[in-house]
Amino acid sequence: MTAALLTLADSRLPAGGHTHSGGVEQAIAAGVVSDPGSLAAFLRRRLNTSGAVAAGLAAAACDAAGDAVRLAHLDDEADARTPSPALRRASRQQGRGLLRVGRRAWPAAAWDALPAFPHHPIVLGVAAAAGGLGVRDAAQVAAYLSISGPATAAQRLLAMDPLTVAAVTARLAPDVDDVAARALTAALPAATDPLLDLLAEVHAARKDRFFAS
Amino acid sequence: MKTFVEVVARPGPGGRTVLPVVRASGQLAVRRTGPTSVHLVATAFGPLGGDDAEVSLVVEEGATLTVRSVAAAIALPSRGEVLPSAQRITASVGGTLDLGLEPTVVAACAHHLAELTVELGAAGALTATEQVLLGRTGEEPGRWTGTVRVARDGRPLLHTTVGLGPCQAAWLPPVAPRAYASTVHIGNHETNDVLTGEDAVRLPLPGGWVATAWGTDLHRVVRAAAALIPGAPVRVPA
Repeated sequence: MTAALLTLADSRLPAGGHTHSGGVEQAIAAGVVSDPGSLAAFLRRRLNTSGAVAAGLAAAACDAAGDAVRLAHLDDEADARTPSPALRRASRQQGRGLLRVGRRAWPAAAWDALPAFPHHPIVLGVAAAAGGLGVRDAAQVAAYLSISGPATAAQRLLAMDPLTVAAVTARLAPDVDDVAARALTAALPAATDPLLDLLAEVHAARKDRFFAS
Repeated sequence: MKTFVEVVARPGPGGRTVLPVVRASGQLAVRRTGPTSVHLVATAFGPLGGDDAEVSLVVEEGATLTVRSVAAAIALPSRGEVLPSAQRITASVGGTLDLGLEPTVVAACAHHLAELTVELGAAGALTATEQVLLGRTGEEPGRWTGTVRVARDGRPLLHTTVGLGPCQAAWLPPVAPRAYASTVHIGNHETNDVLTGEDAVRLPLPGGWVATAWGTDLHRVVRAAAALIPGAPVRVPA
C-alpha cells in the first residue's frame, strides 16, 4: 500500500496544491524568509503548528472515513482551529482539488460521506482510507505536505538552488515523523501560529500575488 | 499546590445578578468587588512549577459576571524537577462573562500552561482577554502555552493553542515575541471583517472575533490588540 502513500504525497498529483505557497509568499514579502536558514525556520514553524493540526485531522478523518456524522464534526473542529478566513479558503480549495482527483483515483463509497466543501486534511484522511492506507500514513502525508509545497514555492519565488531546498526539506524528515507520531497519540492538536494568520490575511488582500495563499 | 476557585452567577430579583457561590482555596482568594464582579487575589508567590489552579465559573442565563485579578501573576520555575505550572479556567456561560486577568509574567526557566474552556449557551456571551510577558526585566524568556476552546451548544467555534518561548512551535527567530495579548469576544457582534495591524490581527468568529497582537513591549502589544477591538479608543501606533 506504500504506492498509494507516495501518490498522495507526490507534488505531481493534480490536486491544485501547487497554486498555494502556505504563507511563504507573504513571509518573503515581510522579510521573514530570505535564505535557506530562514526558510528552514519557517517550515519548522509551519510543520509544528498547522502541519500538526492537519496531521491530527487527517488521521482522525481516515479513522472516520465513511461516517458522515464524525466527518462533519471533524470539519467543525478544523474550522475552530482555522479562524483565519484566508486560511479556511485555502484549505477548502485544496480539499476540493484533492476530492476531485481522489474520487477518480480511488473510487469508494467513503467519499460520499464527506461534508460539502471539506477542509483539505479531512479529504486527505478519506483519500488515505480509500487508497487502503492507515491513520499513521494519513498523519504522515499531511505533515509532509505542510512543508513540501511551501518549500517548492520558496524555491520558485526566491530562485533558490533546488538542491539546497530539497536538502532543507529532507533534513526536516525526523521532525515530520515526530509531528505525525504525536498527532496519533494525543487529542486532536490545536497548535496555531498568529504570525501565519496575519501573513495569510495580508496576502489575501494583495492584488499582486502569484500564489492563492 | 492545588488551588480551586468557584464562582456562580445567577439572575436575581429585578434583573440583577446574585453570586450564590464565591469560594476559593489554595493560592488564590476571591473577593466580591461589585454587584457582578469578583477579583482574584494571589495569597502566595507564584505560581511555581507544579502548581495547578482550577477556576470554575458558571454564569446562568440572564446573569452577568466580571472576573479580574488585582496584580500580575509571576510564574516561577520549580526547584529540582522541571514541571509546568497550570491555570485551567472552565466556564459555562448562559449569560455574559467578562474575563480579564492581569498579565502573566513567565520567569526564565518556568513553563506556564493556561487553559480556557468555555461552553456557551444559546444566549451566552463571552469576552476573555489574555496578556503574557516572557521573562522579567533583563531576564531570559520563560515558556507559555495557552489553549482556548470556545463552543456553543457543543459546536466548537474556536480551538487554538499558542506556544511561546524557547523550543515552542510558534516561537522561532526572527519572530519570537516576548509579549502577547489576545481577546476573544463572542456575543451578537456579527462581522466578517478582518483587521490587520503591525504584528496584530483580528479574525471573525460566529458572533464575534478574536484579536491577537505580539511584540517586544507588553504595553504596546496591548494597545495594538485594543486598537483592533470595535469601539476601542486607541489607534494602532504606526
